[in-house]
Amino acid sequence: MTEKPRKKHRITAQECNSVVCMRRPEHTPTIFQLHKKKKISYKTLFYMKEYGPRSHVTSVIMRESIKILLMASLLSSIGGMHIKTVQDDLIRLLPLLILMPALTTMIGSFGTIVSSKFTTMLFLGKVKGKWWQYKEVHELVFTILFIALICVFYIAPLAYFIAFLKGFTFSYAAFFKVVGLAMVTTFLLILMLLMISVAGSFYIFKKKEDPNNFMIPITTSVADLGSLFIMTNLIVVFF
Amino acid sequence: MLRKDFDEILSGELISLTGGLFTGFMLTFATNKLDLIPALFILFPGFMEMRGNISGSLASRIASGLYVGVMKHKLERRKIIIGNVIAAFLLVTTISLFLGMLAYYVGLDFFGIDAPNIIMISLVAGLISNAIEIPLTLTTTLSIFKRGHDPNNIMGPYVTSTGDIISVFSLLIAIAVIA
Repeated sequence: MTEKPRKKHRITAQECNSVVCMRRPEHTPTIFQLHKKKKISYKTLFYMKEYGPRSHVTSVIMRESIKILLMASLLSSIGGMHIKTVQDDLIRLLPLLILMPALTTMIGSFGTIVSSKFTTMLFLGKVKGKWWQYKEVHELVFTILFIALICVFYIAPLAYFIAFLKGFTFSYAAFFKVVGLAMVTTFLLILMLLMISVAGSFYIFKKKEDPNNFMIPITTSVADLGSLFIMTNLIVVFF
Repeated sequence: MLRKDFDEILSGELISLTGGLFTGFMLTFATNKLDLIPALFILFPGFMEMRGNISGSLASRIASGLYVGVMKHKLERRKIIIGNVIAAFLLVTTISLFLGMLAYYVGLDFFGIDAPNIIMISLVAGLISNAIEIPLTLTTTLSIFKRGHDPNNIMGPYVTSTGDIISVFSLLIAIAVIA
């Protein structure tokens, strides 16, 4: 039996108002009903609510973003305080200064990838109950760890090479220390992020909330702050 | 599936890592100035993260609007795009000011550094980075969509890399102007 083609629905002013004017707690169930009844996509309904004809785009974005951005700035400044304690070492050891932005960016991206991938698995029903027993979770962990290994062997020697071109003296001891520092920082944080994002996403999903909204900012902040914190401590130990 | 994930994640990471390394490379040109402005290292991580966060959200919102189709209508398109640009501009200005003040007070209280010019450096760098990054993010998102690609897959690493580079570039210009 062939499926009937979807009828294109022209949204009425009343339906538009029912989405735009509702309060946030009523939003999700109504969107679900409207999507089911009128075949309007979730994305369209969500966008109507957030940036529809009755909303002020700038105010909505400012209101929803400012708190999380201020919080992220505060956390990053704590990371900045840690860097300040090793400022002289960073200026003296050029490879570390070159490596620092790349390393924090890399670990932050891994946090986002792990959280969003695991959340998708939960939504698709690929992982239930004892998540540590699933093949998909093992594959995700090994893929991330393997990519991290490749990335460390890409950035650490390249950072040292750039520093060498800028006049930094080459020594095997310093080279292996830089590679070792990058590797230890990366692997410690990735393991921590895997645990936080998998356990946190599972807990939030069980509470019937979307883990994407919580876990991505959390893992990014943990990654940023953690990478600066671990890196500065390792600089003190290694150099 | 595993192979596809591996390829996509690895290529995205390598792009953003190259941008990160370039940012570090730019920092090496200012090591003498980094030493002169004592609270700069407190400001630095927050400033870099802010640029990526705000431009990433801007690209993502524009992409969603394009996919949903609300940007097909001329008036709607103008309203949403202008609203997004103004919001991104105001957010960067507010957060730059906040970061500058935070760096100043943290420097003063924890390290005994009295360097009020860090507030001005942060604000001016925020304004310079706004002038470059917002039009760049907007035009790239629209052109990627026009060419039939998904901006969500491309804009993440792109915004992180360009955001880092532009942040450091703006900070260096602000230092040269103010310090």
